[in-house]
Amino acid sequence: MATAEGLHSRAEGREVADGGGPESDAGGPAATSRQVLLRLLRPYRTSLVAVFALQIVSSLAGLAPLIAVVELGRVLLAPGPVDHGAAWLAVWLGVGGLLLRVVLAAASGGIAHLVDGRLQLSLRRLLAQRLGKVPLGWYSHRSSGEINGVVQGDVDQLHHLIAHAPVEATSAVVVPLASLGYLAWVDWRLTLVALVPVLLGLALQRLLQSEDRQREGRRMGEAMGRIGAASVEFVEGISVVKTFGGGGQAHQRYRKAADAFADFFLTYVAGAAGLASLAALVLSPPFVLLLVLGGGTALIAADAMPPADLLPFPLLAVALTAPIAALGHGLDNVHAAERSAERIRDMLSVPPLSEPVTPAEPHGDRVEFRGVGFAYDSGRPVLRGIDLVLEPGTVTALVGPSGAGKSTLAQLVPRFSDPTSGSVLLGGADLRDIPSERLYRHVSFVLQDVRLLRAGIAENIALAVPEADRAAVERVARVAGIHERVQAMPRGYDSVIGEDVGLSGGEAQRLSIARALLVDAPVLVLDEAMSFADAKTEAEIRAALANLVRGRTQLVIAHRLETVAQADRIVVMEEGRIVESGTYHELLALDGKFAAMWRARRAHGGQKREIHR
Amino acid sequence: MIRLLLRVLGERHSGPLRRTVALMSVCAVVEGLSYALLIPLLRALLDDDARAAWPWLAAFAVAVLVVSVLGYFSDKSGFRTGGELSRGLHHRLGDHLARLPLGWFTPGRIGDVSGLTSRSVMEVMSVPAHRLRPLINATLIPLSVVVVLFFFDWRLAVAGLVAAPLIAGVQRWTSKATARQDAERARSSDEAAGRVVEFVRAQPVLRAGGRTGERFGLLDDALHEQWRSGRRAALSGVPGMLGLTFSVQAVFTAVLALGVYLTLDGDLGAPELLAIMVLAARCVEPLLSLADLGGIMRVSRGELERIDAVLTEPPLPRAERPAVPAHDGVRLESVGFRRGDRQVLDGLSLNVEPGRRVAVVGSSGAGKSTLIQLVARFHDVDSGVVRLGGVDVRDIDSEELMSRLSMVFQDVYLFEGTIEDNVRVGRPDATFEEVRAAAAAASLDEVVDRLPDGWATQVGEGGAALSGGERQRVSIARALLKDAPVLLLDEATSALDPESEAAVQAGLDRLMADRTTIMVAHRLSTVESADLIVFLEDGRIAEQGTHEELVRRGGRYADFWRIAAHAVA
Repeated sequence: MATAEGLHSRAEGREVADGGGPESDAGGPAATSRQVLLRLLRPYRTSLVAVFALQIVSSLAGLAPLIAVVELGRVLLAPGPVDHGAAWLAVWLGVGGLLLRVVLAAASGGIAHLVDGRLQLSLRRLLAQRLGKVPLGWYSHRSSGEINGVVQGDVDQLHHLIAHAPVEATSAVVVPLASLGYLAWVDWRLTLVALVPVLLGLALQRLLQSEDRQREGRRMGEAMGRIGAASVEFVEGISVVKTFGGGGQAHQRYRKAADAFADFFLTYVAGAAGLASLAALVLSPPFVLLLVLGGGTALIAADAMPPADLLPFPLLAVALTAPIAALGHGLDNVHAAERSAERIRDMLSVPPLSEPVTPAEPHGDRVEFRGVGFAYDSGRPVLRGIDLVLEPGTVTALVGPSGAGKSTLAQLVPRFSDPTSGSVLLGGADLRDIPSERLYRHVSFVLQDVRLLRAGIAENIALAVPEADRAAVERVARVAGIHERVQAMPRGYDSVIGEDVGLSGGEAQRLSIARALLVDAPVLVLDEAMSFADAKTEAEIRAALANLVRGRTQLVIAHRLETVAQADRIVVMEEGRIVESGTYHELLALDGKFAAMWRARRAHGGQKREIHR
Repeated sequence: MIRLLLRVLGERHSGPLRRTVALMSVCAVVEGLSYALLIPLLRALLDDDARAAWPWLAAFAVAVLVVSVLGYFSDKSGFRTGGELSRGLHHRLGDHLARLPLGWFTPGRIGDVSGLTSRSVMEVMSVPAHRLRPLINATLIPLSVVVVLFFFDWRLAVAGLVAAPLIAGVQRWTSKATARQDAERARSSDEAAGRVVEFVRAQPVLRAGGRTGERFGLLDDALHEQWRSGRRAALSGVPGMLGLTFSVQAVFTAVLALGVYLTLDGDLGAPELLAIMVLAARCVEPLLSLADLGGIMRVSRGELERIDAVLTEPPLPRAERPAVPAHDGVRLESVGFRRGDRQVLDGLSLNVEPGRRVAVVGSSGAGKSTLIQLVARFHDVDSGVVRLGGVDVRDIDSEELMSRLSMVFQDVYLFEGTIEDNVRVGRPDATFEEVRAAAAAASLDEVVDRLPDGWATQVGEGGAALSGGERQRVSIARALLKDAPVLLLDEATSALDPESEAAVQAGLDRLMADRTTIMVAHRLSTVESADLIVFLEDGRIAEQGTHEELVRRGGRYADFWRIAAHAVA
């Protein structure tokens, strides 16, 4: 196995030398999943050849004990005194063959497993790499569970294809062929008899794998999928289920899906039960033995065959049918693995957000949208013809109904997605021409849902500035008003979120503000729709934010009247367009959409705050 | 394994499973015993005495027929048991989940449960349907053959019998050794899966730090560890596999060598020896397959244990003699509640008269949300009592309790279906007019008018087709339609766009009218309008009173109010 390890480490080296370029490696969508797999397996070619070679020898060696019994028969049944030496030689040859088979099979299977492990690791790394490069907009249509299903589940599913299929396929081919050759050499007539169950079995298997059956198999998979979906719905909506009584629809739907699946399975297997049992019978050792012994008896009765020639048949004929009996299950696994490989291929071929060929340097912090349009894959335009300039040091407030495209517009600034038409410029340079590391020195963001990692507090704060030291982290934590809370935690800044401590919504917000403070970028994108858990927390977050925003160029998705009133410029959006733009007083004087919205807002809750000013 | 399966299945499904196991065992034993006929048959043939062979051949043909018929019925029984098993497990899981306390359903559990109902159940149902028969065959056929051997040569039979304890011992040892590694691998896979999800969710902030792919150490380390533990698990299986194959081989060698020795000594006829070796060779493959079969069964067992773990999770205890609340007041008496090692509520007492509106305020982590969850019995209290209408909530039948409560929480879950279906969840037998009226009161009608298919618009999984504000309106309409006397409200924390906010606020005002309301309030205007304000701090009530009283008192709430009002200005 030491050799196998050596092969692996060399293979690793080559992988790195290739530059790990998934762009060239994974192939375009045109590449079939099989091609993708073959390409990924290329570094392990030598190991895989070894797997096949070892398995071939092992399979042949596995026949040795059986042939030894045959030879023993010839020695013992030969007329005249028994040749003791020849008898014992046959015994030891048989035993040696068995030993060889076991050792080689272990080596071959072991290498296959190691290759599988390596492949899984490199596939997962490739996937992670690609996930780190695809446009963030790509994530908006996919749940993290779905993505994890590919990175974990689908990669796992390849296990059978890599670790078992080559070994099983090799022995399924080598053993019957070698046995067939040997038997034909001994007696061709009885060999034909031994082939009867093979042919019958193959024909029956074909029927079992017919189009109809495969379609039904897929339908069963879908029925299973419906249970999964119904159970997610059932569990996610459990509070609704409970509040609105035991007769909850979701529970009913789940039960129905479960019954439908069980019924489907039962009719599916009932439909095939006769055929499957017949196939199993035809391929079973008792039936094969019955046939060859029947044929043998007839031949011997007719004096057409010496008795010693019968012996190989009950021993080896069974080896002809065994692989066919195993065929169905092996194929199921291979099909499943191929479907997984397709999903992996699809994910690897998502085009990454391009990095510039000739990097440009932004001059200043002026942000400019020029004729920007944006649409998701579906083609429904989210933004249309946006022209907007954020002058350095000014605050621009985005307002408008939900679905107007405010978040999408804001997310173009940190280049979560690229516009589908027009361009976004920072300091005169197109965002697409600015290397991402440089871009993030200029632009930071505080968004609605704060993502915390299960890692230390300090690590979470320094996420965007990995090189920051502890003093810097503590300084921003202080400014963000979270230092004292952290100090009170069991392990201070090393407390692991989700293990040592849980953060409340307000605390998470302040941590997010600390992150942005640490980046200290001149341009800030801010989504005000934050969880202001309560008045006190709100006040704390306000204070932290006030420290953060000072002097920066801001694009704010505004939800608070104060922000709107104090902004240098208010941009009103509707259905992906800018419908009004100007200062607070200008827009009120215009008496358009903004003025109407403002009045509606003041009617609720706003007036009290005004009184307390 | 079978015992665990029987327990998880419960009494109702255990009968068919027992019958299946019995049928499969009988089939395997008959097949093994039928091989006894091969010895005289082969002896006759090898002696070149075909005439003596015919009767034995006929007998063997009959035996094969019997085995096939038995095999057909055991397969059929296995399939049927598998199908019914999936139905039974799904139903048991569903019924049990419906009885678990709401507090059990943390976000992480949702993925677990969908895995349980699909992959785990599939694995378990394959046991009777596909996996049991090969396992039973691989065990019982060789054993029956050894029994047969006793009738022909007891010395060879004894040599063969040695295999049984040897193989059983090796299997036991292997499963112990690999179980630990398998658990370790499962753990590191879960860890890696968690890191993948985290990596995906935190993309924006990770990008900003240039932490993509392999430069995100937490994920890469987890993937690497997953690989290493996978390799350890694979390697840990090797000694077991080698041990098994060597034991099988040793026994085969012993039988062969002993047989040849006896034959050469003249104690055993050559045809007998050869016939016996044909049988012995028949046993080698099944015995070798035990290693793989054992591994597959361990996987099934692992999945079964996961199902069992959920099924043994204690549900909320049911009241033995359910009582009916006398009115709609809510009362908490020295309630204590712990979560992990944190005392969330500590001797909290609060009385809410029927029809009154109480606002709960306080800093985050003070226990506000927990308080209203306890009223709805998401969890049971650790000390003290929560009463509705004078009756301990634990003594109220859970459907009765739920029928008296309406909940409007921050995260609104919509079921796949139309908007109308989702509102109707509040009261399935409501007329369309009632649904419309509730929608109008919740300002949902204007949303419906705007949607392409109106009331028949599909909301998508989890309500993805609607915005946050629109979902909240659906939730309010549901609660209005349900018309329960007690309202628990966790005011949305994420700010909505002004238009939605105004509509949601108007809907809430209508909803709160004339109902006993306990709300976690985040808007100053809602707080002020409450009949009673409760200020929570560290799981206790620090102050309570009306807004005016509390501001005049100049205590904690007043400070709080000043900070908030000042921040706003």
